[in-house]
Amino acid sequence: MKRTLISLCLLSTSLFAKDVSLQDYISNDQPWKEVASGYVFTDGLCCDAAGNLFFTDVKGGKGIYKLDADTGKVDLFLDNLPGISGLQIGTDGRFYACHNKEQRIIAITMKGEVEVLLTGVKCNDLVVSKAGNLYFTETPTQRIHLITKDKKHIVADEGHVVKPNGITISADEGTLAVSEYGGKHVWTWRIEADGTLTGGAPYMTMWLPVGKESAAGDGATTEVNGSYFVTTELGVQIFDVTGRLSGIIAKPDPLGKVVSVEFAGKDHDILYVAGGEKIYGRKVKVKGYFGR
Amino acid sequence: MKFLPLAAASLLFATLAHSAPQDDQYVLGPDSQVKEGVPQGKVTQMPAWTNSKIYPGTTRDWWIYVPAQYKAEQPANVMVFCDGGGFVKADGQFRVPVVFDNLIAKGEMPVTIGIFINPGAFPATNPKEKPRSNRSFEYDSLGDVHARFLIEEILPEVSKTYKLTSDPEGRAICGNSSGGICAFTVAWERPDAFRKVVSHIGSFTNIRGGYVYPALVRKSEKKPLKVFLQDGKNDLDNQFGNWPLANQDMAASLKFAGYDFQFVLGEGTHSGKQGGAILPDTLRWLWKK
Repeated sequence: MKRTLISLCLLSTSLFAKDVSLQDYISNDQPWKEVASGYVFTDGLCCDAAGNLFFTDVKGGKGIYKLDADTGKVDLFLDNLPGISGLQIGTDGRFYACHNKEQRIIAITMKGEVEVLLTGVKCNDLVVSKAGNLYFTETPTQRIHLITKDKKHIVADEGHVVKPNGITISADEGTLAVSEYGGKHVWTWRIEADGTLTGGAPYMTMWLPVGKESAAGDGATTEVNGSYFVTTELGVQIFDVTGRLSGIIAKPDPLGKVVSVEFAGKDHDILYVAGGEKIYGRKVKVKGYFGR
Repeated sequence: MKFLPLAAASLLFATLAHSAPQDDQYVLGPDSQVKEGVPQGKVTQMPAWTNSKIYPGTTRDWWIYVPAQYKAEQPANVMVFCDGGGFVKADGQFRVPVVFDNLIAKGEMPVTIGIFINPGAFPATNPKEKPRSNRSFEYDSLGDVHARFLIEEILPEVSKTYKLTSDPEGRAICGNSSGGICAFTVAWERPDAFRKVVSHIGSFTNIRGGYVYPALVRKSEKKPLKVFLQDGKNDLDNQFGNWPLANQDMAASLKFAGYDFQFVLGEGTHSGKQGGAILPDTLRWLWKK
């Protein structure tokens, strides 16, 4: 591998990514393990600084569940918030959520106090930048929305991304990435100083299942060195910082789905996926970007 | 392998410092050295190209070489270099302006304007960020986007100042690695605009689908292209594919389909050294009528 790294030193002044293959991300002796079960449709994975994993049961659950990084136990952390499909903890220590069932974007304190940020949107998934800008996908309208740190609502992109679904931010927070549920691309934009998006392009191409035109791109997250992890029909697809597909992590259940992905655990090196009724996790060789 | 923390995301690498032993046999010959008495063309760095409509939001550096023999009334041939910053360097692996000077003076290639263009990058919005390279997107993607970028944006800009030939036989494009497959893609998509291709250590692998070319070349009606391919037996073998195998496959396909092509398979790694060393011969072959 070292030779490859050196030989990548190419011939120009441009920026190059390291050639990192799947073996550099995962270990065969650390397969997927079931860590929680008994739900209807798990989703909304996010983590806190301690590495606790939070998730929802978007179709059957009561609120936000917590998988404790120390004990490995799952509890209902916040009750009476059914139907959340996207979740992240902001720098202010509150949850930010796509409350899909109520068609609204909300912020929630750790005690459960809700602030409504926006209503009337069929929100799916979100990401909050360190600068305090919130971006979320609205899958049916093909829109990417922005709620700025001063709570101004802007439609940041519309009509380009085929069923925009999963959303994440680059490890330097300069680029926003959104997966297509109805296509094969993960789009990226440059994030301007005011939070708006420019230079949108279908930067990453997901591998398609044989005979299909859509990768069913879903939840997305970012690894600390900048690569992107995107759940798809084929598994978790990994893209390097230059947008090249590095590898595909198999689904825990070949017949099941993976719809949301996040790193958590004390060292942020356990990759969790929401796979229908269950949550699965596996130790990986890299660490997550969020919550650290 | 240990994860190299600092090397991780994206790096600026200077090539020469890291050359592997298999590449050391390839050294620049006399046609790559500045010669007394040979008229020298002029290299001009252009203002960064920031208003691309095809790659909105990107910025890129570029340079133009104009041979001393260029005359405004005589349209010049054109050769575009992907990752142009490396090719134009006076002390680089290729030293294209020097090679052009020498070959044009001897009448071994026509009067040719060189356009050396880097891939785009999205500038960082604050000092803590890094610019995001658009190189792989521009170079490894199949399709006509990059051809259109050159034909609709760059060539018209150069044509404001210099008279360029509109004959596609007089237009060539060259690149290394992903720039190599990019050069092929540009001519493959737009043989009406570019018909000469030079690819060194070309990435005809599956970075973004480019591994289909050998199959496509075999099954598509032959295009009027002249193609030069170089690779080394010790080139990359990674998650995207095996470079020497891919280039051999390309060469076999070009042969099968009856193309005017040349394939040089050396001993080198993923390095420009052999391509640079043989560049004068490559250009003599490429421009020979």
